[in-house]
Amino acid sequence: MRRVLVTGLGVVSPFGAGVKAYWAGLAAGTCAIRPLTIIDATGFRCRIAAEVVEMAAGSPRRSRADRLALGAATEALDDAGLGRADRAAAALVVGAVGGGMLEAESWYWARARGEQLPSWAASLRAMLPAAHAEVLAHRLGLGGPRHTVVTACSSGAVALAECAELIADGVVDVALAGGVDAVTRMCFMGFNALKLLDPDPCRPFDRDRRGMSIGEGAAFVVLEEAERARARGARAYAELAGHAMTTDAYHVTAPQPEGEGMARAMTAALAAGGIGPRDVGYANAHGTGTAQNDRIEARALARVFGAGGLLVSSTKSMIGHTMAAAGSLEAVATILGLVQETIPPTAGLTTPDPEIEFDCVPRVARELAVEHAISNSFGFGGQNITVLFRRV
Amino acid sequence: MTQSQHREVVITGVGVVNAAVVGDSAALAAWLDAPTAAPRSRVGQARPAVRLPETTLPSLIDAAEGRRLARVCQLAIGAARFAVGEAGLDAASGVGLVIGSELGDYTSTIAFADGYLARGPAGLSALLFPNTVMNTMAATTAIAVATRELSLTINVPTVSGELAVARAAAAVASGRVDAVLAGGVDELDPLVAEMLDALGDDGVRGEGAAFVMLEAAATARARGARILGRIAGSAWRALPARPWGVGRRVASVAVAEAQARAGGIAPEWVYASASGDAPRDAWESRVLSAALGPRRVPTTSLGALVGHHAGLGVLHVASAAWSAGSGRLPTADGAHVPVPRHAGLVHGLGRGGGHVALMVDAA
Repeated sequence: MRRVLVTGLGVVSPFGAGVKAYWAGLAAGTCAIRPLTIIDATGFRCRIAAEVVEMAAGSPRRSRADRLALGAATEALDDAGLGRADRAAAALVVGAVGGGMLEAESWYWARARGEQLPSWAASLRAMLPAAHAEVLAHRLGLGGPRHTVVTACSSGAVALAECAELIADGVVDVALAGGVDAVTRMCFMGFNALKLLDPDPCRPFDRDRRGMSIGEGAAFVVLEEAERARARGARAYAELAGHAMTTDAYHVTAPQPEGEGMARAMTAALAAGGIGPRDVGYANAHGTGTAQNDRIEARALARVFGAGGLLVSSTKSMIGHTMAAAGSLEAVATILGLVQETIPPTAGLTTPDPEIEFDCVPRVARELAVEHAISNSFGFGGQNITVLFRRV
Repeated sequence: MTQSQHREVVITGVGVVNAAVVGDSAALAAWLDAPTAAPRSRVGQARPAVRLPETTLPSLIDAAEGRRLARVCQLAIGAARFAVGEAGLDAASGVGLVIGSELGDYTSTIAFADGYLARGPAGLSALLFPNTVMNTMAATTAIAVATRELSLTINVPTVSGELAVARAAAAVASGRVDAVLAGGVDELDPLVAEMLDALGDDGVRGEGAAFVMLEAAATARARGARILGRIAGSAWRALPARPWGVGRRVASVAVAEAQARAGGIAPEWVYASASGDAPRDAWESRVLSAALGPRRVPTTSLGALVGHHAGLGVLHVASAAWSAGSGRLPTADGAHVPVPRHAGLVHGLGRGGGHVALMVDAA
């Protein structure tokens, strides 16, 4: 049995660059959802998002998403203390959706207006989701197996699961895994078209919630085989003790109403970690703030853990839904919760929905040491994943 | 973590929808017996490419689905149904899905943007929006064929299809799931084809989908499934290269690992990802030479016949199983080279350095 430890963390979030800023924002229950500045929101009902104001260093010639990814990935590798040789053997899996779409949109919008066009070759090269992994590997010297997964809003968490399997199966000993997305017109317009955006900052699990908020960012973690990590004296934040992916096969955008696929993912993740529902103290929920998602996720949580069986919170209430980055940003929040013995809150939760029978940690972080915590991520197409972390 | 196992992985179903082949392994075998190049036609302002005839999809997808589903999703579903049907497997019993795609559904993405540019927020289509996410083919295929375990969409230049099969084989071999439907799909959008031309990809482009049903050999045999071929070993790595670029390194770790997992056997023939993209093809030739040593190993690619798309790598896997059983390697000019009835290599090396190797054998 090869165990998988988390030995490095890196984040660029709407709270700024760095894990420290991220945790400070989450622990304080600060909402980073503000008026949109990156794109023109004129004419839309919702005009807010959680943008990264303090961009990570990087050439402005790179796409915004590539710069977010480089900032977070560099911090994670440095945090783990991985040298050149370690990096040359490390696997890389990136969860991505938008790629460099923000810049491609600028090109296409200019084309539609008949304006002078920037290079379209550069736009396409950066536009594909796979572009981030190629840039990260090239810039950071990552030479192991590499691929990009696109599972909509669960992509970032799936990247962690992919790397955990590569380590568990003995393909590699160390891997960099994470997700990234920048705010794009496509994403913002699309969720507006689906009428899923709250014009005010989202309020997951609140009785009066009206939808989600868009966000952006990147989070990467270094995963490492346990014996190797111990041998080199690496600091371990947590063990990635299990995960499971399931598919609803029900609807392209709507989750299965009883949360059957979500519950299957949670149950299988606990089984993979060799624990039962009572061993888990906290769930970082997918928790988008839409009427449908939160109710169905709570239903699935209740099927697995029993009503009120654990603390549940949604960090999307502070940083919005960061799309492909969400699963990895929330994994980092879950890991830090274990380490700091503090459960991040659900900001903006003032009137709990009576149909959601869980303590959703309203507004104020809760000091609590738990042995196991899960992070749920669900994507369009009914793509569910639960990742289980164990305190070390 | 789940303890890793190393189970034998077999192919029990094949599905192909492209300009040359439509159907299951029997249709593929009939074409491989006398392979002909599908005609090329101009796509917008881009270079001529191999497009699917307009009559194909309406013969596979009913009218209601045709109205509801994007064309690239129809391609995927059409091919997936052939593979599931041939496998005779009840997908609801626990089947995963891994799809490789290089380009996703840019046709819908462009249409979605055009709606906004023409009419502002009122022009946005809630129905088109999900198609702007590259997992839309996996989402619609999972619903169409009821796969309910893991579902992955893999995006990597050039070798998405090969990698989808290798990733799916790893899931079955490890014991995490008993069966995975693995495929590749792409369509030709005129604007994207122009952009690819501008990027310097001068290969023959095509469109279509191909799927293989991979199963643990023991469970496939227990249910009496017909075994069409075997993934004897697979591995993926990456070689150093600039993004979208062609590298110089000729390391062959992926090939060596695939061979090791296949019991140390050497391939007697090769299906390569050669597509006519000259710098990439030349790099792949050097990598293969380094991997295979001084032996002259017959090498082919169906890329020139059906055009390069993410389904090509999967088509190569299914075709490799046929070659291993028939002792014939189809060539780009419609002939065959006699080869030993022995395992061969499906090899993929992509722009950017994605490197995949699959040792494929007959049943």
